[in-house]
Amino acid sequence: MTAKPASAWIELRLPGALLIGVLAATPVAAQSPQGESWASIAELPDWGGLFEVARGGAFLPETLVLTPPYAARAAAYAAAEARGEIQDTPAANCVPPGMPVVMWEPYPLEFIFTPGKVTIMIEAYSQWRQIFTDGRAHPESPDPTFNGHSIGHWEGDTLIVDSIGFSLDTPLGRNYGARHSEQLRIVERMRLVEPDLLEITTEIYDTEALVEPWISTRVYARHRDWILTEYICQQNNRNFTTDDGKAGINLEHEVER
Amino acid sequence: MNAFSSAARFGIVLAGLFAMSAWAHHSFSVFDMQTEITLEGEVVEFEWTNPHTWAWVNVTNEDGTVTKWGFEGMSPNYLGRRGWTRDTLKPGDRITVTANPLKSGEPGGTFLRCTLEDGTVKVMFGR
Repeated sequence: MTAKPASAWIELRLPGALLIGVLAATPVAAQSPQGESWASIAELPDWGGLFEVARGGAFLPETLVLTPPYAARAAAYAAAEARGEIQDTPAANCVPPGMPVVMWEPYPLEFIFTPGKVTIMIEAYSQWRQIFTDGRAHPESPDPTFNGHSIGHWEGDTLIVDSIGFSLDTPLGRNYGARHSEQLRIVERMRLVEPDLLEITTEIYDTEALVEPWISTRVYARHRDWILTEYICQQNNRNFTTDDGKAGINLEHEVER
Repeated sequence: MNAFSSAARFGIVLAGLFAMSAWAHHSFSVFDMQTEITLEGEVVEFEWTNPHTWAWVNVTNEDGTVTKWGFEGMSPNYLGRRGWTRDTLKPGDRITVTANPLKSGEPGGTFLRCTLEDGTVKVMFGR
């Protein structure tokens, strides 16, 4: 297995204006497509079953190092939390956290391989991600979304996913005080490290928000016999956050028969 | 203090904040996580719903009045893979529930575990 050329990472640290031009020429988009036919999919590793983050991976400490303006914003948020002014996050109102946190929820994922695409079904909040493995590049100006625009390629048995185009509505990690800029780029390296253990290393690049890339690794246990289960957060959500951050709970209950 | 040391220290602060959100969906700010209460009562309804299950339990107070308590539990997705079903708690079942109560004093809390009539203990976390 070969790592991605180191030069790509040096280029990623360049200022934003240059970044776009450089990235378009990186090998990410130029990799020969794999999984482009049903026959080629048979050559891919077996990622069947569901995978759920394991070994505390859902709640790893977040040791991201923010740049001063972003650290100041996060500190202000933390202070407001400490004063009780911010009591909960939009997630209490069923707004998903977006990438990268969607991959760290304590709910399973399913990876579906079809020609030119890996689809990740995400049980938490009933979401999905599409990873285009057909050799296409990112759009020049992707619409900002919670889970971003993702392209990927296989290096041996490792799926490498490159994602950009994230909405500024989403936090950088689990802490909603830590935000990201439009430069946010997430590179994930996914591979089986044991027959039933998938490892995902998540590399987070944002030269505006982060002093250094935030890199963390989680493992996901395979559950062959599990099936995805519906998760409609609005079904019976009794938690809420008001616009000014106050948390509450709705205890009204009548038996409906 | 230079900018980098300020940022680096903030990295440490972030790591410390984390335990506050042990569930995927919301914080525990409305619950008193330092206090556990244990109440016995009769199941009115077990809502097997997302994002949380809710167990509604009629509890008889010392003065003979009855209060309906609501206990917020893990999701059916999570519990369904860990030995629970929507029939684990049925209307009319007598159960003893241990919970972290609401700070507001309203009759509700975070469902931690319960003992069923036959003595079986069902827990919300862990297998």
